[in-house]
Amino acid sequence: MRTVESEIGAILSGTISAITQRSIFNRLGPLAARPVNQLSNADRMQVMAELENSVRLFARRNSSELIASCARALGADGTGAVSGASASAAGAAAAGTTSAKKLPIEQEKDIATARLEAWSEAVRIGLSKFTSVKVATAVSELARNIVFYAGKGTVELRAVRDDKGHALQIIASDQGPGIAETKLEEIWAGTYKSQRGMGKGLVAVKKLVDEFQLDTMPGRGTTVTCMFRGER
Amino acid sequence: MARSSDPEWAPPAPRALLTVCNPNSDFATGAATLNDQQIPIIQIRNCLLVSIQTELHDRLALDLQESLMEKVRVTDAKGVILDVSAVEVIDSYITRILNDIGKSVRFMGAVCYIVGIRPAVAMTLIEMGVELDSVNTALTLDLALEKLELLQS
Repeated sequence: MRTVESEIGAILSGTISAITQRSIFNRLGPLAARPVNQLSNADRMQVMAELENSVRLFARRNSSELIASCARALGADGTGAVSGASASAAGAAAAGTTSAKKLPIEQEKDIATARLEAWSEAVRIGLSKFTSVKVATAVSELARNIVFYAGKGTVELRAVRDDKGHALQIIASDQGPGIAETKLEEIWAGTYKSQRGMGKGLVAVKKLVDEFQLDTMPGRGTTVTCMFRGER
Repeated sequence: MARSSDPEWAPPAPRALLTVCNPNSDFATGAATLNDQQIPIIQIRNCLLVSIQTELHDRLALDLQESLMEKVRVTDAKGVILDVSAVEVIDSYITRILNDIGKSVRFMGAVCYIVGIRPAVAMTLIEMGVELDSVNTALTLDLALEKLELLQS
């Protein structure tokens, strides 16, 4: 059965990480599992709106092309589903993830481990000394959030290289309680007060990184994906 | 120290060396690493010096804060200096701990100095928009002592 998830997944694979893809499909909810040929026009528009945002943020190249491929696969332009194989192959060549490391975060000492790993990874791929400290700090914040609020989760470090140079992608993911909409508003407004910290961790991370996306669903978990680039 | 030229002179035993780590703490990182975690508080004249060399976590930070306040009360210390030169990354949680310690020290009538913040750490804190506003800062331990000395005269 050709579901939204399988069709879009084939197009995005190689360009957008599996974890980010999963968070995209999580956001689509039940729509992701729906067969492509049973989508209503409203469904298609909803899926495309979500995909456009995510692809523009995460695809490091050819995002317009990818979005067009997705639209074709969903039959959004009326020409019916076409295979995304060629777009997928091009995406895989362009993305060039050079290495990936996934670290489990379960207790406070894992925060220090993740931080050091992130630091050495940043130095290894040639980010500047200051940027490397920023990387370590961001990972520290994200890992701390996992330990404090979700109990356990993972931090994935992906060294990527594209036409803009080296970059380090950090994906902090958990299946914890998620963040409620109202709380999220407080967090971005800077009025959120936490018991244990300053309540500014996420805001701080957002300010430190070059690209940032938060995916959260109450009861299902939170994924923060962010990217550090070399020189700006 | 001029006295070090005297061959008979030996440094006195530290007057106030105490371990703030509670070995019975339920902190889950395991007993082996726990016992290595000690944050000594050292008295220099009427200042207390703390060098943070380990990973701070809730329990340890709270213990440190409590012992420091008690120590300020007992020794009538005028200043507390926290050396963070061994801390490579200061995130918003650590900032909160440092600010809390600074505030509690201030409530006790003493002045709190943070010394040894690295340039990259300072840059990161600025970019993150978190404030270390409940403590004073000095570049080095020496300069902090100098500033505290000035305060007392």
